Amino acid sequence: MASRVNMRPTNKNTLLKVVILGDGGVGKSCLMNRFVSNQFDEHSFHTIGVEFLNKDIEIDGETYTLQIWDTAGQERFKTLRTPFYRGSDICMLTYAVDDKHSFRNLQMWKNEFLYYADVKENVQFPFIVVGNKSDVEQNEREVSQIEMETWCTENGISACIETSAKNASNVHDAFAIAVQHWLKLETRADKNDCIYADTVDLTKKQSENRTSCCINTSDE
Amino acid sequence: MLCFRIQQVDGGFFEKFGNLLREHAETTENRESEEKRKVEQIAECLRSDECASTDTEFVASSGDSDNEAKSLSSDSEDEKDKTDLISAAFNFSLNGNVPRAKPRNNFRGVKKDELRRQTSMYLASMTIDELYAEILYEILHNVGCDVSVEIGQTALISYAQDAFKIPNNKHNQLLSEAEKKEAPEFLINVEVIEAKDLKPKDSNGLSDPFVTLYLASNTSHRYNTSVKYGTLVPTWEEHFALPISDNSIDDTLCIEVWDFDPAESVKEKFGRFFDVKGVKGMRKFVKEIAVAAATGQHENELIGVAKIPLNSIPASGLTMWYSLDKKNKATRQGVIKIRIAFSAEKNRQVAAQEHRHMLRIILLHELELSKVAQFWWCGTFSPQGEALLTQHIAQSGLTPPEVALCQWSVYTSVHQNHQLSFSLFSKLLEKLAKPLRSEEDLKIFWDGAKKLLPSCFSVIRKIRKRDFKDKMTMQQLTEVLNILGNIKMMEMPADVDLFPNNMYPWVTFSEDTKRDILTVVADAVQQGADDWFNHITENNVQQVENDVGRLQYLIQAIQLVKSDLQKALEFYDKLFQQTINFQYAKALYVFYQAKISALAEPDVRNICKSLKKLSFTGFTTNETDSNEPLKEGTTLFELYLALHRFVVLGKGLCQTDSDSFHIRNFYQWFHGGVAQWLDIAVFKALQRIEKAVELDKLVPVDTTVRYSSSAVDTISIFYQVKVFWQQLNWPDVEGCYTFIAKIIDDICRCCVFYAERMAMRVDGMGVQTDEKKFEVTNEWCLAINNIEYVRQSLQPFTDELGMEGVIEKLADLKSAMEAKRCQDTLNTVIANAIDTVKNEIIALLETVVKKMVPAMKRLLIEGAELFNQDSNSIDRLMLYVDSNLSTLHNELNEENFNRVLEIVWDNLDGILKEIIQSNLEKRRPPSFFANLHKTLNLMLGSFKANDLNCEELKKTELKLKVNGLETNDLIHLVHLNLYEEFKNLKESKYGVLSVKAKFENNNNLKVTVMNARNLLAMDSNGYSDSFVRIHLLPEHKFSGIPKPKTQTHYKTLFPLYDENFTVELPTDYKSVEDGLLLFSVKDKDMLGYNNQYIGEAFLHFKDIDSSNTPMDDLPQISLALGRPTDLSTEAIKALESRLGDKQAKEFLRKLKQRMGTS
Repeated sequence: MASRVNMRPTNKNTLLKVVILGDGGVGKSCLMNRFVSNQFDEHSFHTIGVEFLNKDIEIDGETYTLQIWDTAGQERFKTLRTPFYRGSDICMLTYAVDDKHSFRNLQMWKNEFLYYADVKENVQFPFIVVGNKSDVEQNEREVSQIEMETWCTENGISACIETSAKNASNVHDAFAIAVQHWLKLETRADKNDCIYADTVDLTKKQSENRTSCCINTSDE
Repeated sequence: MLCFRIQQVDGGFFEKFGNLLREHAETTENRESEEKRKVEQIAECLRSDECASTDTEFVASSGDSDNEAKSLSSDSEDEKDKTDLISAAFNFSLNGNVPRAKPRNNFRGVKKDELRRQTSMYLASMTIDELYAEILYEILHNVGCDVSVEIGQTALISYAQDAFKIPNNKHNQLLSEAEKKEAPEFLINVEVIEAKDLKPKDSNGLSDPFVTLYLASNTSHRYNTSVKYGTLVPTWEEHFALPISDNSIDDTLCIEVWDFDPAESVKEKFGRFFDVKGVKGMRKFVKEIAVAAATGQHENELIGVAKIPLNSIPASGLTMWYSLDKKNKATRQGVIKIRIAFSAEKNRQVAAQEHRHMLRIILLHELELSKVAQFWWCGTFSPQGEALLTQHIAQSGLTPPEVALCQWSVYTSVHQNHQLSFSLFSKLLEKLAKPLRSEEDLKIFWDGAKKLLPSCFSVIRKIRKRDFKDKMTMQQLTEVLNILGNIKMMEMPADVDLFPNNMYPWVTFSEDTKRDILTVVADAVQQGADDWFNHITENNVQQVENDVGRLQYLIQAIQLVKSDLQKALEFYDKLFQQTINFQYAKALYVFYQAKISALAEPDVRNICKSLKKLSFTGFTTNETDSNEPLKEGTTLFELYLALHRFVVLGKGLCQTDSDSFHIRNFYQWFHGGVAQWLDIAVFKALQRIEKAVELDKLVPVDTTVRYSSSAVDTISIFYQVKVFWQQLNWPDVEGCYTFIAKIIDDICRCCVFYAERMAMRVDGMGVQTDEKKFEVTNEWCLAINNIEYVRQSLQPFTDELGMEGVIEKLADLKSAMEAKRCQDTLNTVIANAIDTVKNEIIALLETVVKKMVPAMKRLLIEGAELFNQDSNSIDRLMLYVDSNLSTLHNELNEENFNRVLEIVWDNLDGILKEIIQSNLEKRRPPSFFANLHKTLNLMLGSFKANDLNCEELKKTELKLKVNGLETNDLIHLVHLNLYEEFKNLKESKYGVLSVKAKFENNNNLKVTVMNARNLLAMDSNGYSDSFVRIHLLPEHKFSGIPKPKTQTHYKTLFPLYDENFTVELPTDYKSVEDGLLLFSVKDKDMLGYNNQYIGEAFLHFKDIDSSNTPMDDLPQISLALGRPTDLSTEAIKALESRLGDKQAKEFLRKLKQRMGTS
């Protein structure tokens, strides 16, 4: 943040709102903390409702500011986290590779997101599936990479990756892939949706430098 | 007006949520008082509604509702029914002597027990006739002074006949039978209680009193009390029963108090000699001894007599002090307290039984006669009735506790059909509370209690049907509670079933719980509340068949319940607590909270769920009719507030266990609703902002401020959101935290949207088509100020959301660390919001400046082209920039104006770079750039900034300046740069040169080249063959001036030149700016053809001494040698760009040699 509070409008980056979803304990907060501050705390607490952090990331020479909303996975926080889905640009669906149940719940998370984010049905939303805790011993692993890829294919999600917040592997990549994926869909959406550009889109998020105003969550 | 139009966008959405909601809260009290009134009205209508049904209900509650009971309530005046009533009350069969009476074998279940008990007694065969005969007999043989005097026998007899409804022939028969009957054996019960003020009769000043009593008609039959020795205030408390005959009414009871004189020998008397007190005592003592000695026997002495005529004693008896008199003595001899009562020798139980029947008959008769209302009769009979009963009590010898028990039994029984005043029972209970009773009496008592209790509980149940402002209501409740309290304190025999199921159809008894007064009170209270609640839910009709209607219905229900609770608190609770230690209001609350939860929760949850669906159906800016979810949301949160207040009430009422109430977590029902509402709020806000911007006339709202209406409107939206949030007062801290995060994020979104809209609004403004330039208008400044104003509201806004408190609570609830994380998140979100909006402002400022750029660029170019010829264009440029900037300066705050300046510098820099580049490419002469430079300086001067704060622009300006120089000047600039560069050299690998120099005689320059040290070895032999040449720069100013050089010193790195030179300068040398001496040290080539450059040093004219100091006295100057290294300076770049300039080309060629690179 400090870098942005200058007199000069140094930050002309595109702002992207990223929501991290997944069962409690799969390591959402750890992923975010690893990505944002390169820290890892084995004994981190349960997230209360939501947490929020900013992080700049450079993709193809362009800097994007990710506004990352980390959510609480516990069921009792459902009503507290869902209000934050609306206006998201990227949704990161997470599970832990040593927790089959968290993997099975991906479907639920995806549905919850689509419902509360009010994503239009025919719009392809940039989901990325992240299998965290890839550092676990092979014998503790319950979900294979193939399973993940299969599930993603079946659900029309083209971005997926295994990460370890603990040893930092692939964490940055996960976010980078997410942004690239968004870019890809964004470009496509630009081409497709520009005919709607004359309609006022009140759901438009705070990305003032966004080239387009008619993406995913628009209500037209 | 404007405001109104904006509100129209969404039907006053935010006002409803913020202010109106708050107003709702503030006016709650008023409204609730109004509700109270409503409640009263409802209660009123309830009372009248159910007045008729009350009776039937009581009948029903008294057991199997047989015909008699129903006929009682049906107001039929039929004689038969009346008889039925009596027989019902009487509880046993009328015999065939009453022709119209139905033979009756079936009695109410409740009373069968009593009947059985009665039959077991000898009275089984007793009939009304017999009782009546007994009554007549009693009337004929009245005792006491009162009855016959005041009322008269005839009146009594006729009253009795009416009460018993005995036909005349029967009456006459029975009367003659009674007359024939022998007069009854009465007893007069006398209790000798105590005496005082007795005259002393003994020599010791005391007496040994005892009492003898007898009837004047029968003096031989005397009764004596014990002797109380040595006292003048004896207490006997002894009972005597003196038989009297019917005609002894004129008799007199004689009470004699005697001093006992025991048979005592003279010797014994002398033994008491020393006990004798006073002269009088001594005289008595002497007399006693004399008498004892003379007669040898004792003689008791009379203290005094009281004569009581029996006709002065009332039938109910009396207790009184009588004075004791003695013949021949005028003074009172003392007073004695006597209790006298009449009684008949009767079997006590029989007498009690008779009395109960009689009491019942007389009571029913009187109730019938007086038509006294339900609950009113409180124990007062007509004089006749009173006389009959008193006579019976007296003639049967019933004791007050026995009478009370009879009354208890009869009144409770009658009460089942005709409610009597509760105060009656309350008083009876006080009388009955203490006396020990036989098993039989206990049975009678509890039987009565059993009959009485249902109506007591009924009063509690139906408390709402009465006017709580009526004194009577409160009084009645007090009595009822007293009754319950008294019964509660009594020990109930184990075999009594006080609460038979059939008498409590409204109680759902569970089999295993023990029933006692308190549990049934609780049941009654709950049942009453339940009835009320059902009444509320049934009669409080939902106005509209939709969700809003449903919500309003719920709100109304809660308010009615709440006002019931308040009423309970205000009027009844204290009474319940004090009398029976029952927390009435709390019990009500516990019940209501569960009911309300069950009623409201499913609806609330459903409606919250459906909010989403409703809110996002085709939301666009054109559509303004999406007010349905809004209305629903408003009502929903009114309900929320109503529940909130209800819960707060509960916390006060049930401090210890309110945490266990289901309703405590009511807010969870609304969870989805709040989230959805916040979402809706964002959309509404955006909609409203759009309208506000559209309607904004872009004039300051008043003369003191620099923002316009849309900023005020936007902030008022935020304000309403805040007020709403404060009103919400969300109890769950985790929820608070996340909702705050959400609100801040949303508000940020609104700010950004506002900024965008504002920018769009002013976008087309200020363009002057005729002059093809953009004019900064006040509107633009207002737009920027508006956004700034909105931005500045963000921090205070977030502060007022109560973040700090939430974080503190989180720290308590969770851990300091988690609280810290939440705090960080909120701070980040806020900082993000503020920053994002700031970027919006900057973006807008950039837009403004960008719009100025073309005009600025055009004017700059014109200025450069025509600087000297046409000063008009410069003026126009200045005017343009000046007016725009002064507008900005006047209208914007300092921060934003400084931002504008920065952006202007930035853009100016861009423009200049572009102009320079393109014109260099065009090989424009230096004058072009010089003009441009002048133009720029003029322009900068007109800016309001004190310092040029932009490094980039400074560089560009330099570039411009350099490019504006003629080649000669440019070359000299290169040298000056080198001078500046070398000046700071401390060490040099090329060597150090020592010189002295001074100006002499106006125009002579004297230079001494002294030596060089550590010269760079240029030759393969490790030495250099060096010499020094002196140049005067700038060269074109000193053309024709010789450039002297020293001798070459071979093969040394430490040449000692020690040569003096005198150069004659032009007289105007002093006018040369920045004149330099250049010492170039070279290595002489063998052939003198290709000298190598070792290094060079500069001496600025200003550093050369011009005083009269002799050369020898001047300090020598050490100059570290350097070589040019940097070809990238603006000056060199400018020279390089002058491709067709031979001088420049030549200079650069030589410069490269000097660099030693060629």
